[in-house]
Amino acid sequence: MTTTTADELLVDTARKVFIETCTFEVVEAAERDGWAAGVWEAVAGVGLPWVGVPEAVGGVGGTLADALAVLRLAGQHSAPIPLAETGLLAGWLLASAGLPVGQGPATVVPGSARDSLSLGGGRLTGTAFGVPWASAVERIVLLVEDGGRWKVGSIAAVDAEVERSLNLAGEPRDTITLDGVPVELAPTDVDAAAFERRGALTRVVLMAGALDAMSRLTLDYTAGREQFGRPVARFQLVQEHLVHCAQDAALVGIAADAASRAAVLGDASFEIAAAKALASRAATTATRAAHQAHGAMGMTREYALHHLSRRLWAWRSEFGDEHRWNNEVGTAAIAAGADELYPLVANGSDRRTRT
Amino acid sequence: MPLGFELVELTADERALQQEVREFLARELPRGSFEPGLGMDNPSDRGFSKRLAQRGWVGMAIPKRYGGHERGAVYRFIVVEELLRWGAPIHHHWTADRQSAQVILKFGTEEQKQRFIPAICAGELGFSIGLSEPDAGSDLAAIKTRAVKVDGGWQVNGTKVWTTGAHETDWFIMLCRTSDAEDRHDGLSQLLVDLHSPGVQINAIPFLDGGHHFNEVVLTDVFVPDDLLVGEEGRGWLQTGSELSFERGGPDRLLSPWLLVEEFLREHEGTPLGERATATLGWAVARFWGIRQLSIAVNRMIDQGRAPAAESALVKDMATRFEQDVIEAVRQLVEVSPSLESGSLFERLLARSVLAGPSYTIRGGTTEVLVGVVSKGLR
Ligand SMILES: Cc1cc2nc3c(=O)[nH]c(=O)nc-3n(C[C@H](O)[C@H](O)[C@H](O)COP(=O)(O)OP(=O)(O)OC[C@H]3O[C@@H](n4cnc5c(N)ncnc54)[C@H](O)[C@@H]3O)c2cc1C
Repeated sequence: MTTTTADELLVDTARKVFIETCTFEVVEAAERDGWAAGVWEAVAGVGLPWVGVPEAVGGVGGTLADALAVLRLAGQHSAPIPLAETGLLAGWLLASAGLPVGQGPATVVPGSARDSLSLGGGRLTGTAFGVPWASAVERIVLLVEDGGRWKVGSIAAVDAEVERSLNLAGEPRDTITLDGVPVELAPTDVDAAAFERRGALTRVVLMAGALDAMSRLTLDYTAGREQFGRPVARFQLVQEHLVHCAQDAALVGIAADAASRAAVLGDASFEIAAAKALASRAATTATRAAHQAHGAMGMTREYALHHLSRRLWAWRSEFGDEHRWNNEVGTAAIAAGADELYPLVANGSDRRTRT
Repeated sequence: MPLGFELVELTADERALQQEVREFLARELPRGSFEPGLGMDNPSDRGFSKRLAQRGWVGMAIPKRYGGHERGAVYRFIVVEELLRWGAPIHHHWTADRQSAQVILKFGTEEQKQRFIPAICAGELGFSIGLSEPDAGSDLAAIKTRAVKVDGGWQVNGTKVWTTGAHETDWFIMLCRTSDAEDRHDGLSQLLVDLHSPGVQINAIPFLDGGHHFNEVVLTDVFVPDDLLVGEEGRGWLQTGSELSFERGGPDRLLSPWLLVEEFLREHEGTPLGERATATLGWAVARFWGIRQLSIAVNRMIDQGRAPAAESALVKDMATRFEQDVIEAVRQLVEVSPSLESGSLFERLLARSVLAGPSYTIRGGTTEVLVGVVSKGLR
């Protein structure tokens, strides 16, 4: 039987680790230093990066549902580590090809239109952009087409020339240049579309966590901040911001749940597309509401709102923005046709197989 | 505290039910054989309500001993979402099934339950809602309709307004003042009023599209027997509050413009839509999908015995604002001036939804009032 719910003990452990390690100061320092060794060691110490990766290839086992639940907490706490990349993306690709995951943090090449990587004689040459934490990881994993079929490639990060670059949240999104770097290659049944969807799923889940935290933070702040002799949360127009933020958090939260569940069960193409479209849009509207309700306090580096809002602004564009995924959902809707449109909304990807 | 919405997974039985409703509609009410409406604004058809009742699709969240089916709110959700999105004529039993039967079940006497609920579950009795008055809209506690104690019952005088469907239904549950109290939320009571009673005058209030949907209900010395007081005298305010979670969190607050989207697609089947229309369609479908999950989660809370007042207000507000956005987004995809007389169903639906759209964020509690309700729950 497929487990669609996460292991509670594991989720509790993860929550404790994130609460203890991802303090405001630590998240700030990670941005300054490019790496959060303390967070990584604590998280890796209990095996969290490799949850959901089969033991056979060097993971710690557990389910996809477990891994996504842990990732949601990482999003809630702005955990400044390549958690999505190490297990859910790199670990997943490697496992799909039967390659070992190895030790230490890993990342993936997300793939952009500007990339120019080419494969020849078992070696990779060219440049790839926006590679998360390339400067800090031990292994870089990518999906390549080779002789008309998809393969997973794995290279040692030390072999890459890394030029540091940051996303809006100050998370490393580096440029890597490879000059005939030896690559371990093995065939996979993952294709580019499945990989992009998997990436989008990780961003949906991270954003669900961040939106939930942002909604709570904004409620707390406005309940404590007094102007005109009362908490600003008493003003109707401020309440509207609070409600809009909570609505976005609830909507993306349940969309992330539905997409995660569909991914655990199999085909989640519709759910992930819809969830990423909603999450990327909510990132815009919820951050606007949260910032407005905070006044100037939200604009300082010294207060935690920006840890969440800047991440949301970065993640909404990663692995496809709302326009890209709206188009995907629209294409699915047109393919379904008028008669099957409501069944698509009510039953999602599996409307044919499980009704 | 942000509110907790839990994803509802449909069971195999619930999926089978969904299929059954779809097949029933395709067979009994084929497309093209009727003029479909916009969600809960669909026409009233006593015969159709009875046929649904015979299938067990009215009173689904009502105990068997009162003629219901004890299937709960999620089960009801699954059936009614199909009816709404099909544009089926469900108006006759809609309010009775959604909330009036629930109020009687929760607060009514045994005799009232026996008298009204089985008839509602049979699709026979239709109800309206008697809350708003000329001087009491959002501020419901300002109502002036008064019931004075007389021998064997109450004598009622006052005026209700915006009463949807009162010209077609049979009864309404009416909020009125039964005593004066220091706190104006006290001293209010709910009475069951037969809309055919002597002294009840129903005057149409024309809707802006020229149609007849809502009414003014003038009550002049209307006699309501003692046994038609619902619940406790003076507790009407609290009872009404509980009624509103049934009224607010359902799929009827999301699906009003559904057919507009579906018909847009149907009328363009076979023609390439282009990127803007594809993205707009995708935006709408993604949001229907997401908000639907929240709405079904609210109904699960009701099944768990909770009264999700804040959650249902949160969903109602988001869903109805989205409904309005959908209408505007679809309107901009086509180069037509919508007309109620158009030969195209899509264009008729567009015309109707443009005209009715503003009411979505007013009826059942305005956006502004809902923000207050949600905020209380978020504290
Ligand atoms: C199509 C339709 C069907 C209806 N059917 C029924 C029915 O069957 N039975 C029934 O009883 N009623 C019905 N109503 C009435 C509905 O419940 C009321 O319209 C609603 O409660 C708002 O009251 P109002 O229209 O008097 O607006 P008002 O209360 O006068 O509000 C006017 C504006 O002021 C705002 N406002 C009011 N108070 C506040 C506040 N405290 N803070 C901020 N803003 C505020 C409102 O949000 C609104 O924007 C129906 C309404 C419509 C449109």
